[in-house]
Amino acid sequence: MENERPFWNPYLAGVALGLVLLVSYVVMGFGLGASSAPTRVAVAAMHLVAADATEGNPYFSQYVKGGQNPLEDWMVFEVLGVLLGGVIGAYSAGRMKRGTVEMGPNTTRRRRFVFAVLGGGLLGFAARLARGCTSGQALTGGAVLSLGSWVFMLAVFVGAYALAPVMRREWR
Amino acid sequence: MMPLYLNGAFEYPTAIALATLIGFGFGFVLERAGFGRATILSAQFYGANMRVLKVMFTAIATAAVGLGLLGGVGLVDLSMLSIPETFLWPQLVGGLLFGVGFVVSGYCPGTSIVAATSGNVDALYTLGGIVIGSVAFGFAYPALESFYLSGDMGVVTFDQLLGVSWVWLAAGVAIMAFGAFLGAEKVESWLAGRSKTEAPDHDMPLRNRAFVGLGVAALLGIATLGLPQKTEEITVDVDLISNMDLAESLILAHNDLYLIDLRNPSECASKRIPGAMCLPGDDVEGRFIETLPPTRTLVLYSNEVMTELPNPAKGYKGPVAVLDGTFNSFQSDVLDVPKLPTDPTVENLEEYRLKNALHQQFTGQKTAPVDLKPKATSRAVKKGGGC
Repeated sequence: MENERPFWNPYLAGVALGLVLLVSYVVMGFGLGASSAPTRVAVAAMHLVAADATEGNPYFSQYVKGGQNPLEDWMVFEVLGVLLGGVIGAYSAGRMKRGTVEMGPNTTRRRRFVFAVLGGGLLGFAARLARGCTSGQALTGGAVLSLGSWVFMLAVFVGAYALAPVMRREWR
Repeated sequence: MMPLYLNGAFEYPTAIALATLIGFGFGFVLERAGFGRATILSAQFYGANMRVLKVMFTAIATAAVGLGLLGGVGLVDLSMLSIPETFLWPQLVGGLLFGVGFVVSGYCPGTSIVAATSGNVDALYTLGGIVIGSVAFGFAYPALESFYLSGDMGVVTFDQLLGVSWVWLAAGVAIMAFGAFLGAEKVESWLAGRSKTEAPDHDMPLRNRAFVGLGVAALLGIATLGLPQKTEEITVDVDLISNMDLAESLILAHNDLYLIDLRNPSECASKRIPGAMCLPGDDVEGRFIETLPPTRTLVLYSNEVMTELPNPAKGYKGPVAVLDGTFNSFQSDVLDVPKLPTDPTVENLEEYRLKNALHQQFTGQKTAPVDLKPKATSRAVKKGGGC
């Protein structure tokens, strides 16, 4: 698409992101999050298909016990907002491109998709294990000076840098 | 007083509308930051473009400094903020796995959502993977449960941990961030020089204005330490017992009290103050407590300091007191290995000796030679008000 707007200066974007987080804390008392929304959607779908099995699972049951709706949660609505914000952001910047694939110059679409799913699987699993992701732990917990969140954040960078050489062909 | 929602400024329907609005801002900024592109995000880990570091750390410093400033002038009650709990081991291992997932997929959960909205197909695959991964975690949970719950430290923040006030730490985070940015920019231009490409443009005047703004806000935050402290009296209509007094009573006169843990049964079952009883999970009205003979003092504790008599205790006929602290504060005051004070004075050395003795009594571990002389008359419960 022609006339794509440039991205913001990273430091300015950082200040803006910090202010969004600040507003979230000042208005709601909670920080931001992302990964629990896909989990809640998945649990809601599973509950539709197999209610007993979902309630019987010691992890999923926390989202459905006592007849609660797993989708009725502040995080689900917040992520709904993220979706809308992403759409408006991309559209207003001329970056709406249906069907593009983000990949390095030396890989194939097929490899890219395989790694996208594999990496996503790790992200989903690890976010549940760590009780949050880059939004809920690193960003939010980092800003409120939580010990575990800083441990998580540093571990993310260590893990990513450690594996980066292996993945070089996919990105560079 | 803020946070508004937790202080009851508005109800749930308004809250979810605002949640969507806040999420909108989040998604919009992520898109504008360039976080909807896996090629930009992954460039962080090859040193070519360290946007992830710059955006994340500026955001963390901005929010930490902002909260410190608003807390310092008394607009926000920092103690009410919901802060992620620390479970050290799963967070360490989860972080490492997450980092691997980040460089393999090129996204993290929030950015994959934003990327998907601007039409990136690969982000949809990653989102699918995230759903599969989190469902897989649920199925693996029975095997992982003990690890998932390991390293449980409750809410631990660096300001409590180090005994340094929030505003100083926020300023420290900002300084650390500046240092990391300068380093990142050096790496970027060095790599660009090597590969004969252009380093990312920093727009220096804009960058410097952002740094200066953050620095000024951090200094203002520190300046609020000089403001007169508002001493807000919490109105309590029950008797309070301090952590140390409870510890003493448990050692010297444990037969004078019933200690009840009001946290949820699984927390209580895994770890509680020695000598405490858990309340059965379905017993919110406290039928169990009603059956206790009213000959001892009933002492209750939970995850929060209670400011009024909790419901389960209302049926008890004897004297009642609540802990002037929480399970976590009791743990750090009494059960954890006490730390030798860094600036020893007569008072805090005395306190250290007492803590040491208590720690030894409760855990059987010797940390340092001490001699605690038990008081001749043990007060089972310290009364908060007049008797």
